[in-house]
Amino acid sequence: MSDRPAKSYGIIATFQTAPQLYHAAEQVRDAGYRHWDCITPFPVHGLDRAMGLRRSIVPRISLAGGITGFITGMTLIWWTGAWDYPLIVGGKPYFSPMFAFPVSYELTILFTAFATIIGMFVLNGLPMHYHPVLKYEHIRRGMDDTFFIVIEARDPRFNAANTRALLEKAGGTAIAELEA
Amino acid sequence: MIGLIGLGLTGLGIFVSGAAKVAVSYLVGFTFWTAIAIGMLLMCLIHHIFDASWSVVIRRQWEHGLTAFKWLAILFVPLVLASLFYQRDLIWPWMNPAHELHGGHTVGHDPLYVKKSGFLNVQAFVIGSAAFFLLWIWLSARLRKASFTQDADGDLRWTFMNRRTAAFGIPIVALTLTAASIYWVKSLEYHWFSTMYGVWFFSNCVRGALSCGVLIMVWLLGRGDYRGVLNNNHFHSIGMLMLAFTVFWAYVTFSQYFLIWNANVPEETFWYNLRELNHDGSTNQWWYVGLVILFGHFFLPFFWLLSYRYKVTPHIIRRIALFILAVILIDLCYNILPILKDPNGDPLPFLSVHLLWVLTSLAGVGGICVWAYLRSFPTAKLIPIRDPRIGESLTHHE
Repeated sequence: MSDRPAKSYGIIATFQTAPQLYHAAEQVRDAGYRHWDCITPFPVHGLDRAMGLRRSIVPRISLAGGITGFITGMTLIWWTGAWDYPLIVGGKPYFSPMFAFPVSYELTILFTAFATIIGMFVLNGLPMHYHPVLKYEHIRRGMDDTFFIVIEARDPRFNAANTRALLEKAGGTAIAELEA
Repeated sequence: MIGLIGLGLTGLGIFVSGAAKVAVSYLVGFTFWTAIAIGMLLMCLIHHIFDASWSVVIRRQWEHGLTAFKWLAILFVPLVLASLFYQRDLIWPWMNPAHELHGGHTVGHDPLYVKKSGFLNVQAFVIGSAAFFLLWIWLSARLRKASFTQDADGDLRWTFMNRRTAAFGIPIVALTLTAASIYWVKSLEYHWFSTMYGVWFFSNCVRGALSCGVLIMVWLLGRGDYRGVLNNNHFHSIGMLMLAFTVFWAYVTFSQYFLIWNANVPEETFWYNLRELNHDGSTNQWWYVGLVILFGHFFLPFFWLLSYRYKVTPHIIRRIALFILAVILIDLCYNILPILKDPNGDPLPFLSVHLLWVLTSLAGVGGICVWAYLRSFPTAKLIPIRDPRIGESLTHHE
């Protein structure tokens, strides 16, 4: 228990319609903020561009997983069949990429799937059991009919007065501070 | 015009290389375009069975492509007539029971032919080929009529009719394209066994149709017709399908090769041996063609199509589509041309004079198919404006 004032997480602003939020997001993006987010009751198409988000890097993680899986499969067959315990099966060579291919192919898919799921979770910051906006009393409207923009205090451009002014200029209402 | 010039040049080829080589080369050009037309038919059917939305704006171009079937049917007739009345074993050796085989006996006394003759006989070939084309033309006509009429009256029943056509059309096309690939291509080496053949042909059909779809999209976008209709996501979606079918082609082709390699039974391995080694054990040109197919038909397109940027940049995806079409042609050459043998029983090399007749017949049959497409193009709206999913298609997003 501490009686010091709670540390600020950031500022939240409310918007009534998707177009308002969309244009406000463009202004926040153009002001150069990086640690901020939009909260909407449904996916707003094109919002990622309005927020200046790049395409996800999950595909690269998937590719890395796939390559790892392929190499693992090839190495597994080569190591077991040709190196650790050389054994002739069906008159075939100790090692051939031919019969190592089905295994490598399966492991490529398996590792790609793992990398994709894990990469997605890590980049999303999931699982997340608590988020400061949950303390905001009107946040439930964000699952129904209201839109929010949250700008975090850790953003280098954050400044309580200027950020509040920006959100006001962008059309935000009920601007409030969130405690961390 | 190009079509007629190409066909004319192919005809001249008879005097240079002889009828057999020209006929087999013509079969490559004919099969290439037929595969693309079948692929377009499949894309339309698959579109309707899944009630897809994104592809509505592209589907119309495939529907125009379907007019090529009746011309392809006519273009197939010379091969059949030449085989029946000019020389029975001109292309398909099994059509002539007196055809002499390696080792002295004839097709008529070959147990492998006798056992297969219930399927592989001239009557079944002719009736079958006619039936394939009639079914394809009939399905195409149903799809086109329903789609074009809906432009005018906007009646939803055309959408339901197309969905029914798709439900029974997909099994019909699956069976007919399998049988067609067996009669026209695989039976060239009728000793051979492969249960993967129809699926291999299917994957080339769909890859050809998707690649042609991309070429048409980029062409119409550049000309201005598709401006405001297509966005990045249409290119992304068709690119993803191209990637999926690249993997599918590799899966099927590798399975065919791997099972034969693993079983190591002479009745099956001879087909690949012919395409790797001469009778004296030296490597022949088809070995390198096989490697071009392995890397060009799978690895390169696979890695290119992994990239989002490549898929959505029109001039890059166009280049990939052209590349895939070129390798489909090489794949068909690999499957068809080695039937032409030298006196030692070795296949004639890939780089022979008759490769020229492959290219002229490619231009010939292709010219006529493109002409058929262009003739159909102005007869309907650019996109199916009253399709119930047209709105979703125009605003297609990830």
